Amino acid sequence: MNENLYLLESLKHSSPIIQLAWGLSSIFFIIILMLIMYLKYLRNHLRENEKIKAKYQEDYESYLVTYLYSGNEDDTFSSEQQLIINELKKCVADPFKRKIIISTLLKLRNEISGEIAESIDKLFIKLGLLRYSLAKLRNEKWDIIAIGIRELTQFKIKGVHKIIMNNINHPKREVRKEMQLYLVHLYAFKGLDFLNVLETSLSEWDQIQLLEVLQLNNDTEIADIRPWLKSSNDSVVIFTLKLAKVYNQFEAKEELIELLNHKSEDVRVNVISALSHLNIVEAKNILKNNFNERSHEEQIAFLKMMENVYENSDKPFLLEHIHHKKFEIKLFVMGILKNINFEEYALYEVELKKMLTA
Amino acid sequence: MNNTKKIVLAEDNSVLSLLLKFRLEKEGYKLLIAVDGKQAIELIEEHNPELILTDIMMPFVSGLEVISHVRNKLNTQTPIVVFSSAGQEEIVLKAFDLGATDFMSKPFSPHELVIRVKRLLI
Repeated sequence: MNENLYLLESLKHSSPIIQLAWGLSSIFFIIILMLIMYLKYLRNHLRENEKIKAKYQEDYESYLVTYLYSGNEDDTFSSEQQLIINELKKCVADPFKRKIIISTLLKLRNEISGEIAESIDKLFIKLGLLRYSLAKLRNEKWDIIAIGIRELTQFKIKGVHKIIMNNINHPKREVRKEMQLYLVHLYAFKGLDFLNVLETSLSEWDQIQLLEVLQLNNDTEIADIRPWLKSSNDSVVIFTLKLAKVYNQFEAKEELIELLNHKSEDVRVNVISALSHLNIVEAKNILKNNFNERSHEEQIAFLKMMENVYENSDKPFLLEHIHHKKFEIKLFVMGILKNINFEEYALYEVELKKMLTA
Repeated sequence: MNNTKKIVLAEDNSVLSLLLKFRLEKEGYKLLIAVDGKQAIELIEEHNPELILTDIMMPFVSGLEVISHVRNKLNTQTPIVVFSSAGQEEIVLKAFDLGATDFMSKPFSPHELVIRVKRLLI
């Protein structure tokens, strides 16, 4: 006791800097102590939550599997299924349990196909979860809207596309992407109708994802892509050019040739690549005639096209550009000449080498 | 003598494991479930099953390592069916190189799996 009093006394008589240092140290010590206690509480709370979650998840997994294998032959709900539905319906009202139920359904839904997958989709509706997903679409937060749309996609909920289409020009890219994926996942080519009214840009990643989903779909009825080739949205035109290549859309030949005069260079380069892929030889003469007016990128794209569709009659055109000022173009021209006539090419090569060393 | 055929299922998705266990046990097989490759190897060594069903991507020890262990260390020709997901085509090829018998791409139909299992265990 006396020792403590002595310490306090000596602190009182020490310099203000030492007093301040002691004061600050005490404050920091108390803060650290409080933080340690809070972290301990938080860790325990999270662990407890995890345990509860795992327990519920185990229960719901068991309910789900029992539900899936206790159905009647005639597609009606058996008494056992009805009991499970009633039990789960009670849990759905609680947001914490609802989240676990949805994640359990998705955990299985994403791994299986066929009748069982369809049963899970039906259960999603039967439990009233559709109402909650649709409510998410009316939320003010963009991430909640995106989650809502994704849930509808994963459980293949058709018939709500009109509500989802309201987000077609949503300011957040993630929401737009989920909306597009919903439409294409569920309606395949018909779902691409959103391209008619899309004002925002489709990123390269969005385009890749849409193409991937389309290819997963077994729908062979390909939409008429021609209207999208005339879109005022350049990204829609570029995406449609990719569709033309992947699905060999020869029917759109006229529209594709028209696009050679599009205002965007990116579109023009892509259309040359599509024309090359589709082997549309008519485009070759058009491009040959105005080769010099075209940008470097277009010239390269055209020469790449020529590599596949060259003829003997192209020789004068190629010879005209054998001394082009751009090395890359010269290289392409030489390559094509080599393919047309190897012996003649040897002569051009000697001539070119002389020029280069002169 | 117990003639029930044993199947080791290595799958980290608990609900899928449960579903397949339910389905295959209904068909008269005995299912031994492993949540990762390490457990799968232990079960295979202990029970010497007639068939192995394994996911490719699993924690600790992958499906590829399970196949390699069965074919190269245990030197057994137990049929192995591999579960893969979209985009894992290269790994599936590796699995076949290591000695996998068949593969199923997720999402798959449990009904189709039962048909394949029956065919392999005739």
